[in-house]
Amino acid sequence: MVTLNASDLSIRELNVKIKELAAQFQEITVVDPQARHNIGVGILQHATIKIDGSVGYYAASLMDGPEVTINGNAGWALGDNMMSGKITLTKDAGASVASTMRGGEIFVGGNAGARAGISMKGGTLVIGGNTGFLTGFMMQKGKIIICGDSGEAVGDSMYEGEIYIGGKIGSLGTDAKIEEVSEEELIELWNELESHGIKDKPRFRKVVSAKKLYHYDSLERLEKTLI
Amino acid sequence: MVRDSSQIWSPWVIDDIHSKADLGRYRIRGLSTFQKVTHFDDLTFLSTGLTRFPLEGYKEQCNTRTVLGGLHSEHPLELDIPIYITGMSYGALSANAKTALGKAASMVGTASCTGDGGMLQSERDESDKLIYQVLPSRYGFNPHHLVNAQAVEIVVGQGAKPGTGGMLMGVKVLDEIAEMRDLPTGIDQRSPTRHPDWLGPDDLAVKIEQLREATDWRIPIHIKLGACRVADDVKLAAKAGADSIIIDSMVAGTGASAEVLLDHSGIPTVPAIVMAREALRELGLYRKVSLIASGGIRSGADVAKALALGADAVAIGIASLIALNCNREIPESDFMKEMGVPAGQCHHCHTGKCPVGIATQDPDLMKRLDIDEGAERVANFLNAMTMEAAVLTRSLGKSDVHSLEPEDLMALTMEASAMARVPLVGTNKIY
Repeated sequence: MVTLNASDLSIRELNVKIKELAAQFQEITVVDPQARHNIGVGILQHATIKIDGSVGYYAASLMDGPEVTINGNAGWALGDNMMSGKITLTKDAGASVASTMRGGEIFVGGNAGARAGISMKGGTLVIGGNTGFLTGFMMQKGKIIICGDSGEAVGDSMYEGEIYIGGKIGSLGTDAKIEEVSEEELIELWNELESHGIKDKPRFRKVVSAKKLYHYDSLERLEKTLI
Repeated sequence: MVRDSSQIWSPWVIDDIHSKADLGRYRIRGLSTFQKVTHFDDLTFLSTGLTRFPLEGYKEQCNTRTVLGGLHSEHPLELDIPIYITGMSYGALSANAKTALGKAASMVGTASCTGDGGMLQSERDESDKLIYQVLPSRYGFNPHHLVNAQAVEIVVGQGAKPGTGGMLMGVKVLDEIAEMRDLPTGIDQRSPTRHPDWLGPDDLAVKIEQLREATDWRIPIHIKLGACRVADDVKLAAKAGADSIIIDSMVAGTGASAEVLLDHSGIPTVPAIVMAREALRELGLYRKVSLIASGGIRSGADVAKALALGADAVAIGIASLIALNCNREIPESDFMKEMGVPAGQCHHCHTGKCPVGIATQDPDLMKRLDIDEGAERVANFLNAMTMEAAVLTRSLGKSDVHSLEPEDLMALTMEASAMARVPLVGTNKIY
């Protein structure tokens, strides 16, 4: 295990060292990150990284494979475009957590800001607390599990994917609807929460796409002959 | 006697209203605007006479080598010519078209660019220099592809449809495209307008840093802007840390857009370049941040004029597709029968029924485009454009296309004089 003191390093130096150590299969601890942006960007192999302190925007983003634990808060776009791996954040996440995520899992122990899971394309996002407005906006695939409340316009313009909400729903977004959750789904969700140390068993509700905006509902005269 | 048609209630306007009365929505089509705007044809070069000496075409070299994005990156984009092929999505275009474009770019030592929907492997294989787009949709965005690119292009806007996202009609969202984009097959895809992870120029600066960290600061980061509020947008993009700025004008092309955006938003290429140049000059970043012009570049003359106005390079889209056979009757095609219009007048890219195999996902139609033959045609066209630009440059007494300057131009109309900020022919006056 190697410890890096982020306060002694520029972001460039820190990320170079993280990548070098990851390539050597070392376990890495970063201390004193000072909520700086772009820590742990672009790691494309498995690595075990612990960050003691809060991080800024884009922490652990554009990654494929690592397991990252952050003991603190995170700024915007934690795990942006993650391909695979796992991120565990003990406290609150800012806006756009898991933006365009494509695989893997992100767990936020506290609350998440607006646009959580925006344009998600796969993977699982679990929020221990509440989320802000436009959660799951333009979501394409994947799963969002919110133990607390969601803000306004949840699931707005979703294509596919599922958003489970254990608390209140601020309001449904455009073309979103509520669907029944089976007992099997509930058990699966509770097991997922338990894997993150959450013992609560909320009666989740599920938000999915109503699929009414999939197609333009009329064609031009010429298009009717061509298509 | 029947009077001529009304200017306001022209036959086209009447047909347009009839169509919208049937549709109940905005109309969608491909290609580019049909508005009549000031363009490069309204400018002319002042070739040499007694005041300057021309260069001999056959024995005096004219340099066309172009370096883009060297401000922050370790490896700027080095091109043999000041023209590259702009981003057009695999989805809007067929796999054969994208592959042919990549191959053509390599044949002449320039670059091609991905597009909405991610990277097609055959384009990556054929393209020596590939620019990787980062769009609001992030369809198919893969950090492994990012780190293997030669440049990154953050798309803030597109000239043909600024202020809105991409569009791909369901006839083109077949299984492979749908899978790449993580969408249901057959959906009428409308891409997001805004990026998911940043909202304003201050966030954009952090986003640029993220992409630099992911690519180890090796390659340039470009920002593409739809040409609208050019002065402000260029300054903000430059201050956010862009290595290059692409200014994409209202005459740029698209595979599908709401027609109202095609014809009623954005500004033409000529004033866009000038405003971008002056914005960079104001910041002391002119010729440090590279300026790339796109929108309606059709010939070497357009290339030369764009460079003279202040661009470092140009990007072409529609012209490269026309070189590939767009709007050309080929033995396999019958435009009237297949598209309802003669070759030369087709703009129905959005239908996916392209008779020459370019803007389609139909495998039978795609077969009509041979990759190698298509690549050769595009490479020929790029060579022809470069030679045209060089001929003009030498006629001006210059040995480098990047030495072209506004003083080499005059305007043929008052509007062009005002937009290009060059004198009107026969006068010393800039209108």
